[in-house]
Parts: sequence; structure tokens; C-alpha cells
Amino acid sequence: MSVLDSPAPRRMRSPLAHRLRIAGGVLISVIFLFPIYWMVVTSFKNQVDIFTNPPKFLFSPTLETYVEYMSRADILRKLVNTIIVATGAGVLSIVAGSMAGYALARVRIRGAATFGLIILLSRGVPPIALAVPMFLVARKLGLTDKHITLIFAYSTFLVPYVMWLMRSFFVSLPRELEESAMIDGCSRYGAFFKIIVPISLPGLLSTLIFSMILAWEELLFALVLTNRYASTMPVAIAGIAGDTVNGANWGALTAVGTITVVPVVIFALLVQKWLIRGLAEGATKG
Amino acid sequence: MGTVQIRDVRKSYGAIEVLHGVSIDIEDGEFVALVGPSGCGKSTLLRMIAGLEDITAGEILIGDRVVNNVAPKDRDIAMVFQNYALYPHKNVRENMGFALRQRRIAKAEITERVNNAARILGLEPLLERKPRQLSGGQRQRVAMGRAIVRDPNVFLFDEPLSNLDAKLRVQMRSEIKELHQRLKTTTIYVTHDQIEAMTLADRVVVMNGGVVEQEGAPLDLYDHPASLFVAAFIGSPPMNFLEGDLREGPRLALADGTVLDMPTGDPKGRSRVTIGVRPEHFTIGATGWPATVSVVEPTGSETQITARLAGQIVRVLIRGRTSVLPGETIHLSVSPDFVHFFDPAPVPELALLEDAA
Repeated sequence: MSVLDSPAPRRMRSPLAHRLRIAGGVLISVIFLFPIYWMVVTSFKNQVDIFTNPPKFLFSPTLETYVEYMSRADILRKLVNTIIVATGAGVLSIVAGSMAGYALARVRIRGAATFGLIILLSRGVPPIALAVPMFLVARKLGLTDKHITLIFAYSTFLVPYVMWLMRSFFVSLPRELEESAMIDGCSRYGAFFKIIVPISLPGLLSTLIFSMILAWEELLFALVLTNRYASTMPVAIAGIAGDTVNGANWGALTAVGTITVVPVVIFALLVQKWLIRGLAEGATKG
Repeated sequence: MGTVQIRDVRKSYGAIEVLHGVSIDIEDGEFVALVGPSGCGKSTLLRMIAGLEDITAGEILIGDRVVNNVAPKDRDIAMVFQNYALYPHKNVRENMGFALRQRRIAKAEITERVNNAARILGLEPLLERKPRQLSGGQRQRVAMGRAIVRDPNVFLFDEPLSNLDAKLRVQMRSEIKELHQRLKTTTIYVTHDQIEAMTLADRVVVMNGGVVEQEGAPLDLYDHPASLFVAAFIGSPPMNFLEGDLREGPRLALADGTVLDMPTGDPKGRSRVTIGVRPEHFTIGATGWPATVSVVEPTGSETQITARLAGQIVRVLIRGRTSVLPGETIHLSVSPDFVHFFDPAPVPELALLEDAA
């Protein structure tokens, strides 16, 4: 039974406590949303308005920075790269990770729990410790500055992530569903793809979205493993931020930052119905 | 051919053996109930027949084929689970047709067979609904529908009624029985509820601790329980038991010193015994074992009296009504035919548990 099925115990609330709670919620939202708001607003300011102190909340917006950066071929290319890499890494890790998670949840293998734990613990290694060896391996294989390299690199941390999220999702599904499917004429694979996957779609989708966001915003591996051809938006942002010759270019930084964030926000809004259901309904039995 | 033969089947999980050599022969068309307390191995055995558990030792034959290494999908069986295991993303029609689609049967035939099963079970108005839009009883019916469209060699039921409320359970019980009389498909039915087993089955197999305790027609088990366990398990309200020493007379000397006149002696000549008498086999009269009435429970057609006899609780069931009042002393007698003798042993707790359930 999921938590949602049972009505929350009703408490008598004093109007004051209720208002305080709402005020607290609003405050926290403001703290979290303000930087994004500030980034978006700054990206529409011209250079003078950006540096005005005290900051101006009313100004005449300009698309100057956007026009400049969106017309730059390298930024567009990085945006496309980011889409390719995030989608590729997300899809690869959801397929491999969910199947691994299913095996950990269901198949009786000696030491399965230990095995799963070791895979999870491997994530305790700091990424920087892996980045250089990965670069050396990629160079030996002639795979530097390729999409597939980043996709594989991201899968190394996304697959365990998906595996653990989906494992707990699958554990909450009654075993009898697959057993029934197996009696009805499916193999174990058939039962997984025809019964378990469709039922788990909300969970799979929300996990996929989180994986894609993680891949979308990743900087370190992208910085180390790619150069010109396959590098991604975070690398572009880092490049702008690190360009100290002309001083901090806040306009460019916020505009490119906004370009990076907007697709994620649009995507999240489109799938939020699934996202919330997937997170809340881990234990659904239909 | 829907025969099932279970030959000296064993099941171990690691070093722990849970089934210690079970053999049962099931005829084509027979309705067999596996009954016993939880942990007796009945569900494990059923799952082994279904192919969901490996067989550690022994053989299971469905028809004349050994199925030890046959995948569940190739055993030509259908199973109804305790939680129904309906596919939540498929509607009733798709749930019922799923197994047929897996077998690549023509669409038109699937539709016909699903409609047919839906008609038998009264599911026609619900065919387009999803499982979550159904009540418990309707889900149960869909689960049965999913089994019968298959027209399998054997039906397996794993506690199919225990998620239903008492009233619905009785109704579905008769529906299952009617269905079996109509389809005459071999059925193996696992339950912990002895009433379900008694009312449904042609033959009841009582299991306890991983072995078959006794098997036979329901009323045979009721009339001639082979062990104290079976005697205590079958029948509600449960059989009364008194342990004591048999003496000349014959008389039974109980632990507290009370001596009761016995209508008959032990045919096996034991001196230390536990005797058993079913509640409905007592008659209240002018002479007999004295007992003090503590509770009188009339249900209209019969009255259950709880009384104390030599400090022990005995239950008496009489047809019709009585003027006996709590606190009164009654005298209980029993015909020699209705006294059961067993080796003395502690009465299984489950008698009390089943009563409470």
C-alpha cells in the first residue's frame, strides 16, 4: 500500500500555524528559485545594467547576448552534443540499469546483495580519480572527443544509479505478476518486457529523466574526454567563466546558462505528471 | 489427460528440508484440496506443480509426462493466486486473453473464448475495465476467468478466497464448486481453511510439517481421523479432547482425579490415551459426565454450549434450542461409535487458532 492510499490523519490546525507553514514554504521556494530568476533576468540585461549597484529590477531588456551566442556555431554544436550525449547516456543506462535492477530484485543468485552493494560503493570513488585513467584509455582506443565516449563514461555512474532506483521499484511489485505471466506462456524475459516494463513505466520514465539531467549538467568528464567536436554546454559555460582576459562576462554566462537550463525545465514540465507519479507510486499495485 | 502424480517429492532450501517426501495421485477431473496450517508446505508443493519452484528430489507427472524440468508455460496449467496477480495495465478482456495471445491463437477465437468465459462468470459488463476499477469479488472472478479461457489440463488455486470478506468467500466457494462441476477440469486447491477444503474437494489431503498427515474423502477424514492432528484440524467447532488413564469399567481417570465412565474401551488396548468427541456427538441427559455451563450461544438452528468438565473447556453443539442456562450443571453422554482414541499428545494449538479466524 502506498502512503497515498490512506488519508492523512487530520489534525486541528490553528490558522496562525497554517499561515506560518505557508510562509515557510514560500520562503524556501524563493531561496531556491531566486538564483535561477537572477540568472534569467541578468541574461536580458546589457552590460551597464548588470553592474549597476544597487541592482536594477526594472530595466529595458535586450536580446543582444542571445543573438551573439546563439549565432555562434560552437555554442549550437555544444547544445546539439549535449542533447545527443544526455539522450544516449540516459537511454543506455535505463536499459542496462533496469535489467540489472530487475535481476537484483528477483533472480536468486548467491551473493546478489553483496554484488549490488559493491556496484553501488564503486560510486564512492571521486570522479576526478577516474577522469584521467578514462582519458588515457580513450586515447589508446582512439575514442577521445567522441559522443560515444561520453555516453559510456556517463553510463559508468548512471547505470548503478538506475539499477538501485529500479531495484527498489521492482521489489515493491508483487512477484505473482511475473509468475502469472510465466504460467500464461511467457519466458522470464517475456514477463519482464510484457508485464513488468509497462507497469513500471512511470518509474522508468522518472529515472530516465533524472539520469538525463545528470548527464546534461556533467562537467568534469566532458572537460577531460572531449575537446572540440563532442564537447557539451557545461564546458562552454566553464570556458566563459574561466575567460578572465575580458573580465567576468556575466551577460554571456547567464545567457548560455539559461540556454542550458531551459530545455531541461521544458522537458520536466512536459513529463511532470509522470515524474510525480513515478516518485510517489513506487509501491503501486494497480 | 489431467492426471497429476506426485512421487516422493522433496524440497529443500539450503540445508533445511521443508517437504519430506510427499506422494499424491490425482485422478483426471478430480478436485483435491491441500489443507494444513501455515508452513506445512502446501503452497510450496503447489508452486512445484506449477513450475515456480524447483523440485529437489522426486518426480511430478502431469498426464504421463515428467515435468520436473518443464517450464511453467509448457505445463498446460492455469493458476489463480491469492492476490489474483491481475495485470494492472491491461483491462479485463486483455487480462483474460493474454495467455491465448501468447499462444498465438487467432484473434477471433480469443474474442470468442473470452466472451464465453465472461458469460460463465458474469463478467460481460466489466470486460473493458481495468483491475483497479473492480471490487475484490470481481477481481477474483477475473482471475478465474483468466484460468478457464485457457482450458488447461489442471487448475491450481493458491488460497484464492482468503482476501475476500466472509460473505463473499462463501458465495465464491459455491461458484468455484459449480464451475468445477461444469468444466470437470482437474483442480488442486490450496487452503488453510478446513471448511473450504471440506466443502469443495472430492478428496482432502491434510498436510503438516512437510508430510501428508492423512488423505481421503472429506467426510472420511471427519469421521475417521487417523491422528490427533487431523482430528483437531478438521471440524468446526473443533473436537473436544480429554487425556487420561483408561481403567477397568471402562473408566477414564483424568489428571485432576476426576474419573469418567466410558461408553467403550480403546480398541487398541492402550492404557494412556487422549479421547476425542465432536461437539455435536454429545447428548445432554439425566446421567453422564457432569459439566458446568459457562456460555450458551444460540444461532437459531443450533445452540453451542461451552462448559467446564473437570476444569477443561468442552464444547457441545445441539440441534435446535435449549433451556440450559449458564451456571447450570449438565450431564453429557456419547454413543460408543463417536468416541475417538488417540495416542496421548499435546493438542495442536491450531485448533484454537482456526477457531479465532
